[in-house]
Amino acid sequence: MNRPAILVENLSVRFRQFVDKKPTLRKALARRQLRETAYVEALNDVSFRVEQGEAFGIVGRNGAGKSTLLRCLAGTLRPNSGKVVVNGKTSTLLQLGVGFNPELSGRRNIYLGGLAAGLRKHEIDALFDEIVQYAELEDAIDRSVKTYSSGMFARLAFSISMHLEPDVLLLDEVLAVGDQAFREKSMNTMKEVLERSGTIVFVSHSLQSVADFCDRAMWLERGSVVAIGEAGEIVEKYKASAESRTQ
Amino acid sequence: MTLPAPAPVYYTRRLRAYLVDLWERREFIWFLAMGNFKARNASTAFGLFWWVLNPLLLSFVYYLVFGLIWSSDRDILYLMAGMFVFHFTAQALTGGANAVLGNTKLLANLRFPRIILPIANLLESAMGFVVSLGLLLVLGGAIEGHLPGVEFLLLLVAIPLQFLFNLGLACLTARLAVPFRDVNNFIPYLNRIWLYLSPIIWPLSLLETASMDGLARFATYNPMFSIISVYRTVLLGYEFDPVALSTFAIWAVATGVIGIAVFIKYEGNIVRYL
Repeated sequence: MNRPAILVENLSVRFRQFVDKKPTLRKALARRQLRETAYVEALNDVSFRVEQGEAFGIVGRNGAGKSTLLRCLAGTLRPNSGKVVVNGKTSTLLQLGVGFNPELSGRRNIYLGGLAAGLRKHEIDALFDEIVQYAELEDAIDRSVKTYSSGMFARLAFSISMHLEPDVLLLDEVLAVGDQAFREKSMNTMKEVLERSGTIVFVSHSLQSVADFCDRAMWLERGSVVAIGEAGEIVEKYKASAESRTQ
Repeated sequence: MTLPAPAPVYYTRRLRAYLVDLWERREFIWFLAMGNFKARNASTAFGLFWWVLNPLLLSFVYYLVFGLIWSSDRDILYLMAGMFVFHFTAQALTGGANAVLGNTKLLANLRFPRIILPIANLLESAMGFVVSLGLLLVLGGAIEGHLPGVEFLLLLVAIPLQFLFNLGLACLTARLAVPFRDVNNFIPYLNRIWLYLSPIIWPLSLLETASMDGLARFATYNPMFSIISVYRTVLLGYEFDPVALSTFAIWAVATGVIGIAVFIKYEGNIVRYL
């Protein structure tokens, strides 16, 4: 059997939370620290694995730890304990337009975004026309990005990420932007990624797209895993719990 | 299908791997610096000309205050040379922390050697500095008829040394300001004090006054004192002082090495404080 694309074992992340309780200097001196600190358990003993070619969904309420988990997978956040292994080239789309400078042209930003994501300049040169074409930007490519509509911005950002040819793609609720046609196009591209045995981790509040698109899913609640299993089942369970909460 | 060997996703602190990674990202550093350089005045009518206009206006203001009002014998070029050299380092102090704290999106989303951010920021201000040096050379030729000869080559040593010095300072302030933002508020005052302690708005002859003995010795320990004197050799034809150059070289290497080491050791924690 192949090596898993992603392996996470006993991952825990704690954040220091700054409690805003008017820390007077006198109290601070009494406690010998400047700010009162409390710890928030953002992720608590999370373990799972994702196989190559799999689409893995993550569902949960706001603040469940989904984005923190993706940051750990992306390697930008060092966990307090536990192990994270990601095999292959990772492309992250946790936020749109990372590395962009809105004052500059779309052309310039393709280079900025691509280089930020780890491509070399000559690689971007080769991909450039394709990126522009996929993003459907045409002449707008020479305008400064701050003049772009949010849809154009999203298309450009998504197009760059897709052309990195990632083995592992991390997506955080970014497909909600763009019009219907582009959303379909991006879904198709993601399916292509899966077909060449790439792996996708997909965080979304759109339960329907998780159920439709993902093979398996994980349900997080306050930093802990509630359930992992077949995507449709997990979404049903999560829905049921959400409904019982609102009643 | 074969996969590359599993790698831990976050940085181990092995310096060699870090430096290799940094080298492979050199194009990114360049684009980041150039992008900011161009973007800074992109919406203005003068555009890139602001890179010349800014130092010109700055020296004009100082000339008004210290040159005309005090009506001393100090000449404008002495003042400008000191100002520009000082400004290059002062910018590193303010910019180092901002380069890190102002790029939360990059830091949270992508993995790369974090020192790229202060380096790119420094490169950007270095470009501005080189522009202002060019301006000074032109003015020096026009006003004083001074044109540097072989001394010009000193710039090839002085600029990289000052760059290293600045990088060390930028790394140190970034390291301090990330968990403790208050540092950023102190820096403008620190810069102001440093400016007055350096031979920029006061003449070197001040140090020769008898009553200034203690202060004079203190003033010469200031790294800004030595580096400004190196630049003045080139720009104004002052006598070359090898002691000043070597003193500054020691300052630069020490500050650079300590700053970079401290920063790299710390950088894995940055995302927690954004």
